[in-house]
Amino acid sequence: MIEPDSPTWRVPPRWVLLVAVLSIVAAEVGGGAMARFKVELTRWARDGMLARPGVHGLVGVRDVDERILDEALVKFDAGLRLFHMHAEGMGLVIIATSMVAATVIQNAAARRAIIALLTTGGAGYPVGYLVWSALIPSHGLERSKTIAEWLVWVPFGTATIVALWCLAGFVAWALIAHRRA
Amino acid sequence: MTGRLVLVPAVLAALVALAGPAPAHHVGAYVPQDNAVTTNFKQVKFSVQAGKFDVAQRLFESGPLRAEMRAHAATLPSGLEDGTRAALAAGDGPEVERRLMIFFAALARDLALEADRQIARPDVTADARVATGKKFLEAIWRYYNLVDFAVATRDNKASVAVRLAFDEAETYVKPAPAGTAPADPAGLVKPLQRIAQVLSTLIESSSMSPRRNS
Repeated sequence: MIEPDSPTWRVPPRWVLLVAVLSIVAAEVGGGAMARFKVELTRWARDGMLARPGVHGLVGVRDVDERILDEALVKFDAGLRLFHMHAEGMGLVIIATSMVAATVIQNAAARRAIIALLTTGGAGYPVGYLVWSALIPSHGLERSKTIAEWLVWVPFGTATIVALWCLAGFVAWALIAHRRA
Repeated sequence: MTGRLVLVPAVLAALVALAGPAPAHHVGAYVPQDNAVTTNFKQVKFSVQAGKFDVAQRLFESGPLRAEMRAHAATLPSGLEDGTRAALAAGDGPEVERRLMIFFAALARDLALEADRQIARPDVTADARVATGKKFLEAIWRYYNLVDFAVATRDNKASVAVRLAFDEAETYVKPAPAGTAPADPAGLVKPLQRIAQVLSTLIESSSMSPRRNS
């Protein structure tokens, strides 16, 4: 067992680093595209919503519909922003947590499993915001959220949470073992 | 590492993750904004209150409030726009307020009439009619709320009647508690008709001459 305060940090597998860096790259590209194509994206989403009035509960009265469209467009934009922020942040989280796992966990199978969960969960979770935004014009606010939730947020988020709890357990165990030694 | 060492945190994590319903994910919050008409109304109103009638007139002349008055001219008392401009030019604050009150009362009344028409559609499900009613009530209140004080100072009975009808209508669009029957959209019809009728009377009486009964 490596001592928790050992200065020797282990680098996680390269594929993990690649996924993390790609997540950050996707976040930056997404953020840039969001700003550059803001008008086009808004127009696309608005046209998509106007083409499906039943899905969004549009009633054909401007004073009522403008509020519905405004809320959907605000959420559409929020989804893109949240993808940008989460993909950026989770890229760094993947690097940091997988490095801790690579350093602290001695059991090879457990280490591989936790690093795999951290990486897939961390890289997949932000995509849920992109899925949510993309589905809003065609499926409406609530249905698109439900789809994104069960397709992406729940599985990938759960993978990350489970992996982080396991990692916390291993770190705590390493600390206890170090004190006993 | 022992098997138990791997198992304990894994079980703990699974319990934490699966204990409740699907976790709530942060998806941002929507705060409704004023639309162009209500924004322009507030600009004009605050300018009038500050005694800056030249500013108020400029904002009215170039803003969406006047454009909206023109768009709804067919359902508004005749000369409402010209009278508003004349009141602004004359620096007559109460008259500007009265005319804007009539305008927003007319907008709210038209929405109530349209809501009544749409809720009566037999080809739409009850849930969809309730959802439609809710959206219309939000829109009606957004406009009526702007002038409720002005209505109350001129005709407090009308103000109370509209608010009571609105409260009653809201009970039909609230989500039904678990285990109870869903709201009946037909219940919305009467309060919506009452809102339209009270506002029509208010518009008619206010259009003839300014009066106060408070």
